[in-house]
Amino acid sequence: MSARRVLAVARRIAEGFRRDHRSLALLFIAPLFVTALLGWVLRGSVAGTIDLVVAGAPAALVDALESAAADPDLDVEVRIEAIDDADGARGAVRDGDADVALIVAGSGANVGLTIVTQGADPTTEGGQLGVVQALISGAAGALLPIPGARLPEISRETIYLSPDADQLDALAPVFLGIFAYFFVFILTGISFLRERVGGTLERLLATPVTRAEIVLGYSIGFSFFAAIQVVVLTLFILARVEVPALGPIPAFTIGLDVQTAGSPAIAFIVALLMAIGAVNLGIFLSTYARTELQIVQFIPLVILPQALLGGVFWPVERLPDVLQAIAHVLPVTYAVDALREVMIKGADFGSSVVQLDLAVLAGIAILFVVLGAGTIKREVA
Amino acid sequence: MHPSGPAPAVEALDLRKAFERIHAVDGVDLDLRPGRIYGLLGPNGSGKTTLIRLLAGLSKATSGEARILGTRMPSRPMLGRIGYMPQSEALYPDLSVAENLGFFAALQGARTRAAIDRVLELVELSDRKGSPVLELSGGMRRRLSLACTLVHEPPIIFLDEPTVGVDPALRVQFWAHFRRLAAAGATILVASHVMDEADRCDELLFIRAGKVIAEGTGAELRAKAKTDNLETAFLQFAGLDAEGRPVDGSPAQ
Repeated sequence: MSARRVLAVARRIAEGFRRDHRSLALLFIAPLFVTALLGWVLRGSVAGTIDLVVAGAPAALVDALESAAADPDLDVEVRIEAIDDADGARGAVRDGDADVALIVAGSGANVGLTIVTQGADPTTEGGQLGVVQALISGAAGALLPIPGARLPEISRETIYLSPDADQLDALAPVFLGIFAYFFVFILTGISFLRERVGGTLERLLATPVTRAEIVLGYSIGFSFFAAIQVVVLTLFILARVEVPALGPIPAFTIGLDVQTAGSPAIAFIVALLMAIGAVNLGIFLSTYARTELQIVQFIPLVILPQALLGGVFWPVERLPDVLQAIAHVLPVTYAVDALREVMIKGADFGSSVVQLDLAVLAGIAILFVVLGAGTIKREVA
Repeated sequence: MHPSGPAPAVEALDLRKAFERIHAVDGVDLDLRPGRIYGLLGPNGSGKTTLIRLLAGLSKATSGEARILGTRMPSRPMLGRIGYMPQSEALYPDLSVAENLGFFAALQGARTRAAIDRVLELVELSDRKGSPVLELSGGMRRRLSLACTLVHEPPIIFLDEPTVGVDPALRVQFWAHFRRLAAAGATILVASHVMDEADRCDELLFIRAGKVIAEGTGAELRAKAKTDNLETAFLQFAGLDAEGRPVDGSPAQ
């Protein structure tokens, strides 16, 4: 073992880093950037107000709920609106005008309470549910004829997913669009970088091929595999296949059996639009990389912020204003929104939300196609 | 060069290309005729590759113009009539020999199996059709690269150092084939920094620092420089002494 040779190797690494300013910068800046962004998302996100609509409750109960909501120990603002009819309350929750509906039926000892939420985002709604339950306990006096009697059982109702839906039911459909987007971006980025570095792009451009032909060919080639990926992932998310025990292998199930409401076909179109955008984003960004390592370096800069801000884990409306503005220019935001609308809320092409999301995604895909094609002949004029 | 004879296949008129402050091609005039092989000779960095890229329409001239068969370059339709063999390998390592060739043939509009088989025969890779490029030796890759250049039988052929890494026996075959292509009417421009290939060309262009410093047949250039050795002739035209140092005060490059 020669210390001299060991040091020579170590020194070679250090010299390589010194030349590769980008890797060096990334080594220090990327973790700071991502951590700061995460901190901003988590700390800066507003807890939000809870819009509670109360249907069929006596005035005394509404008053008691309001005074419970005014308790300074409650760290979230609750706005209470009282209406008469239970279906109106459900409609308000479905349309997003209210977060939670409390439906009171009967009175006295026969009182029945139902709490209704959308059932689209189990985590957020779970928090809201806890707050509303606390209010009901606080207002118990107004509800119960005899002091000390037991609170009636509160039944749960959701508009979309079932009340027992877990976080996976809400997240899995959203992953459909995200995976195709990120994988296709990385694959195309590396593939096109090889074309540039390996000289095959030069040879390509020495033939009568047009930029549009290259971009279209790339889009079809990679979207084909993205399409297969989406189909496989969709089947895995939706299916539940029992595999019987076979000799020493115990029985197991394949598939997540996630509850969904909408058409996987529309989800497929969303994923495909994302993939086409990703192909051309990869072509575009490959201009700004010299090595495959540098393509991989785009992950913390391009992909992670999109995963954080796009509404996958936190609702976009709860982000700080600045981040919300950024989220609204990211394609992921629209894909997540469309996938939620379709897969969880069962929306179809008739939904104006889905139409808008698809239009924006198509627009972004076209923008990336233009950007990608624009970089192809740059060195060649 | 040719006061009479066929119309020029490749022309350059005061062609210039500057990269920031470097004049890679610095006022080149060319007039290449069909049926002939031209040798573009010069040291590394003298502008050979840049000149070929300008002529092939892969790069836009800073000033002056390049014409192929009378059409000003860059012109996309003209690209189908050019065969360009880049200096780098420029092949897809994961794809097989036949897949690489089929791909470039399709882009060039020559998709007949016969054309592919013929050119594979020529570069002696018929028995390696199915091998991925990854598994080929350096010389085999050069041969495949040449095959990709010639598969559409272009009338204008630009070869950037085609015989690097090719063994002597195959090199002789390469040149014999270039000669056949020229006899069939092709115009061939071969860049090289190896002077011993020069005598296989009909005419030579000595290039240094982006300028053509001498042109003519090998015999003409030898006579002009009063030497039998082309390398010595090159040094003399470049204003350098036998050891590559500048004489008579002309600046070293």
